[in-house]
Amino acid sequence: MSAIKANSYVDITDVLCPITFVKAKVAIEELEDGQILEIKMNGGEPLNNVPRSLKDEGHKVVQVEDHGNGTYTVFVKKGDL
Amino acid sequence: MKIIVNGNEVVLDKEVVVKELLDKQKVSMQQYVTVQVYDDIISRDDFEKIALKEGDSVEFLYFMGGGAQ
Amino acid sequence: MSFTNDQLERYSRHIILKEVGVKGQKKLLKSKVLIIGTGGLGAPAAMFLAAAGVGTIGLVDSDNVELSNLQRQIIHLTKDVGKPKVVSGQETINEMNPDVNVVTYQEWVSSANIIGIIKDQDYDFIIDGTDNFPAKFLINDACVLTEKPFSHAGIIRFHGQTMTYVPGQGPCYRCIFKNPPPPDAVPTCKQAGVLGVMGGIIGTIQATEAIKYVLGIGELLTGQLLTYDALDMDFRKIKLPLVKDCPVCGESAKIKELIDYEGAVCELKQN
Repeated sequence: MSAIKANSYVDITDVLCPITFVKAKVAIEELEDGQILEIKMNGGEPLNNVPRSLKDEGHKVVQVEDHGNGTYTVFVKKGDL
Repeated sequence: MKIIVNGNEVVLDKEVVVKELLDKQKVSMQQYVTVQVYDDIISRDDFEKIALKEGDSVEFLYFMGGGAQ
Repeated sequence: MSFTNDQLERYSRHIILKEVGVKGQKKLLKSKVLIIGTGGLGAPAAMFLAAAGVGTIGLVDSDNVELSNLQRQIIHLTKDVGKPKVVSGQETINEMNPDVNVVTYQEWVSSANIIGIIKDQDYDFIIDGTDNFPAKFLINDACVLTEKPFSHAGIIRFHGQTMTYVPGQGPCYRCIFKNPPPPDAVPTCKQAGVLGVMGGIIGTIQATEAIKYVLGIGELLTGQLLTYDALDMDFRKIKLPLVKDCPVCGESAKIKELIDYEGAVCELKQN
């Protein structure tokens, strides 16, 4: 299990692009700078694109966990925009 | 002499006042045209007094209605 | 206020934009834009503002939809002919986006009602989509006196122009055009014709300015007149000076009250 303590959690495994990123973005905008968002997502397209889009907006991906069943948990630290 | 009128170069054989330029450019209803030379809006009373100089940038601004009907 | 799943999906292309995001979309949903004239300019402006999720849209127009309007006033449909334009506009917006509250004013603006209309919902931004100079000067003066930003525009034949006034940040319409031309001196669309898409292009630019103002992003057309010539496909931005002795927004402004100018004969029914 992760040692990272997240401030908020969002599951985007049940939606498709671009709502994946939209839901992650909505969740992270509600946090304060430096807080951590835990995002559960599917592998493939979401895993390829969502963390990259969040990085482009100035946030930092701190850890990625592979659950071995096609889903992943990505921890993102909110950056100062 | 070259001046710029609404972004286009206009070649003149002699110095002209604003009124002469309006005539030369075949601007109709001159009393309703706003003339701007660089950052100044020229009063209509001065159309025959203000002479244009080499390289001046002149804008003719027109009333434009339309929209609803 | 948090978004429903439908809203997340509807506004996803906005929310993805760094310059809009969740906060910007919420600003849009809380914003109030007044559109005066639901015609060639106002119709496309209203539709894009509604699609964008501007929460309150005021529509001002006294006219009914005529068949000759449909060549360019895309908010009205063939079945709407004969209906008040504000009602037709409201119906189209309601079908497009249930998030938008449409407030209708089925009247012409005049010195007697314009301030009341602007204050009715304390609109954030005003779009001048009118077709006559008395209304254009009235809207300018009312916005200067109530300190409201607005977008001016005009279209005729293959030409269009637009500028944005923001209090204290640049010239007003009267700085550039001191007084309205006498009635019938300058042709209107009805007399001169207009390519239908002109309102689409210029009205959509007006909607863009309203959205940018609400979001606080980018550079507005303050102190600049954008002119468009569709035949040459030429856009030009003309830098406009601030006129210190402007009779309405200048340092010692003489105009303190609104003026009802006489309209052109063919527009008399509006006044």
